[in-house]
Amino acid sequence: MKMLVVEDEQELAESITSYLTREGYRCEMAATFREADEKLYLYEYDCVIVDLTLPGGDGLDLIETLKKRIASTGIIIISARNALEDKIRGLEVGSDDYLTKPFHLSELNARVKSLIRRRNFGGHNEIRFREIEVHPHAHKVFVGGQETVLSRKEYDLLLYFLSNLDVALTKASIAEHLWGDNIDSADSLDMVYSHIKNLRRKLVEKGSGDYIRSIYGIGYKFGPQ
Amino acid sequence: MRLLEKTNRIYLAFSLSLYIVTAIAFYGIIKWLIYEEVESRLLVEKRDFLVYVHHYTWKDNSYFVENKIEVEPGTQPKDFREHFKDTLIQDRYTKEWIPFRQLTFYTPIQQETKRVAIRKSLIQSYRLIEVITLTMATVLGLLLIGTFWFQDRLSGRLWQPFYETLARIKRFDLSSGKALHLEKPEIIEFRELNEVLQKMAEQLLHDYTTLKEFTENASHELQTPLALINAKVEQLIQSEQLTEDQTRWIQTIYDASRRMSRLNQGLLLLAKIENRQFTSPQEIDLSRELHEKFADMEELFTHKGIRIEQETASPFVVSLPAILADSLLGNLVSNALKHNMPGGYIRVESSADELLIRNSGPTLNNEPDVLFSRFKKEETGSDSAGLGLAIVKQICDSYGLAIRYTENKGEHTFRLARKEA
Repeated sequence: MKMLVVEDEQELAESITSYLTREGYRCEMAATFREADEKLYLYEYDCVIVDLTLPGGDGLDLIETLKKRIASTGIIIISARNALEDKIRGLEVGSDDYLTKPFHLSELNARVKSLIRRRNFGGHNEIRFREIEVHPHAHKVFVGGQETVLSRKEYDLLLYFLSNLDVALTKASIAEHLWGDNIDSADSLDMVYSHIKNLRRKLVEKGSGDYIRSIYGIGYKFGPQ
Repeated sequence: MRLLEKTNRIYLAFSLSLYIVTAIAFYGIIKWLIYEEVESRLLVEKRDFLVYVHHYTWKDNSYFVENKIEVEPGTQPKDFREHFKDTLIQDRYTKEWIPFRQLTFYTPIQQETKRVAIRKSLIQSYRLIEVITLTMATVLGLLLIGTFWFQDRLSGRLWQPFYETLARIKRFDLSSGKALHLEKPEIIEFRELNEVLQKMAEQLLHDYTTLKEFTENASHELQTPLALINAKVEQLIQSEQLTEDQTRWIQTIYDASRRMSRLNQGLLLLAKIENRQFTSPQEIDLSRELHEKFADMEELFTHKGIRIEQETASPFVVSLPAILADSLLGNLVSNALKHNMPGGYIRVESSADELLIRNSGPTLNNEPDVLFSRFKKEETGSDSAGLGLAIVKQICDSYGLAIRYTENKGEHTFRLARKEA
C-alpha cells in the first residue's frame, strides 16, 4: 500500500509518515506544491493525504489534476481551514475525507483504513483480530463465530481500536472519534470509560480474550497481551 | 427632519414674518400720507373760513354742505390747542355712520367766541387705503408663494446628488466585496464629498479583505503548530518507558494544546460571524434540529441522568446558515447540560415565535449580564473556553435574533426569538 503525504510542515509530515509506516504502509513525503505535483505525475499512490495551504499553490488544484488522471486514488484532506466552503469544494473535486487540524494521528489512521477498505473491496471485507471478526458492511461483530450485539457507539469504538492496534489512544481522541469535537470533555471522558467497560464485558462474555488495556493517565490500548 | 424640510420651515417662518411686517408698515405709510393730505386741506379750508367770516357775516345756513362746518357758541378752555381728530357722523339720508376728519378751533365771530369744527369725509380715502393694501397684500403673498415654491424646487434639485450619494452608501455592503461607485456631480462640495467617501470605502474594503485574510492565515498558522504538538504527544505516549510523572506532564501538555485549539477555533468563528463571512442563510426549523441533536447526544444525557422533554406547539423557523444553526444549538445544549445537575432536566418549548430552552441547575455565581460576554466562565480553571454563549449572542445579533436569559428558583431559561424590526 503506497501513500503520499503532502504537508509543508516538515515535522508534522514526519509524524504522520512514521505513524502510518508503523501501520505497514509505504509512505512518501512532499513539502511543496511542485514537489507533490511531480510525484503524483511520476508515481501511482493508493492514498494521498493533502494539506490545502501549500507553498506554491492550493492543494485543491492538486486534487483536481490527480482525479482527472487516476480516479481510483483515495484522497484525504488535512487542513487548518475549518470552513464549510472548503469542505464542500474538497468533496466536489473528488476528495474522500476532510480532517481539520489539529487532528489525532489515530483518527487519521482510522480514516485511512476505512477509506482503503471502501476503495479496495467496496466495503465487503472482514476485519479480523484473533477470534474477533467484524463485518463492516453489515455492522456485525462475531466472537469465535458467535454474534455479539453492540450498540452503535460500542461498534464504532471497536472499529477504532481495530484500526489502531497496539497503539496508545488518548481518551480525548476516542471521545472525539465517537461524538465529534464539539463535545464537552469532562462528561465525554466519563462516557468513554463506561463505553469501554461495556464493550470489554460484551466481548469477554462471548469468550474473547481481554485485549483492552488501560494506560494510566493517558487512555487505552487494544492489542495482544 | 430632513434638511430641505428644515430650511423650508425656516424660510417660511422668516418670509411670513417679513410679509406681515411689510404689510403693516405699508398700511401705516399710506394712512399717514392720506391723513397728511386731508389735514393740509382742512388747514386751507380753515384759512378760507376765517377770511370769509372776516369779510362777510356768518349765518348757520351760509355753508350748504351738510356736516361740513359746525359753528357753536362756546368759550375757549384754558390750554386748548387746535387739533385734528377722527369722528363718526350719521348721514342724514342713508343713516350710515361715516368717518370724518375734523379740525377744531375757537375764533371770535361778530365779537362772540365760537367753537368751529371743520370736517372732511374720509370715506373715499378709506376705500383707497383698503384697495391699495389689499392689492399690495395679494401681490406680496403671490410673490411669497412663488419664491417658496421656487426655492423648494431649487434646493430639491441642488441636493439631489447628495441624496443619491446617501442612497448608494446605504446600499453599500462590505461583505459583498463590491466597490462603492459614486458619481461626480458638478457642485464642488458634493464632488469632494463623493471623492472622500469613495476613498474611505476603498480603504475600508481593503482593510476588511486584509482582516479576512488575516483571520484565515491566523487560523492556519495557529492550527498547524497545534497539530504538531498533538502529533508529537501522540507519538510520545506510545513509548513504554514513561514514568508516572512524565505521563502526567504529557497529559497536561496535551490537554492544554487541545484547549488552545478549541479557543482558537471559537475566536475564529466569532470573527467570521462578525465579519459576516457566512453567506446563504436558509430557512431552518430549530426545534427539529434540536430534536436531532438530542437524539445524537442521547447517551450523554442518560449518562448524566438528565431527562429531556420536548414540547413543540409549532416549529420555530429562522433564517440562518446551516453551520451557524448547528453551532447555536450545540452551544445552548452543551450549556444546558454543563450547568445541570444529576437527575435534572432539559425542557424545550417551541412555538412559531420563540424557542425556550429550560434546564435545572444550581444558581449562577456570575451576574446574568455578563453571561454572554467572552471568557466569562462559571468555574475558573474549567476546561471550557468560555466562548460558547458569546458565540450564541454573536450569531443572534448578526442574524436578527434575540436571546434572553432568566432564572427562576433553580430553573434557567434561554429564550430565543426573532428581533422585532
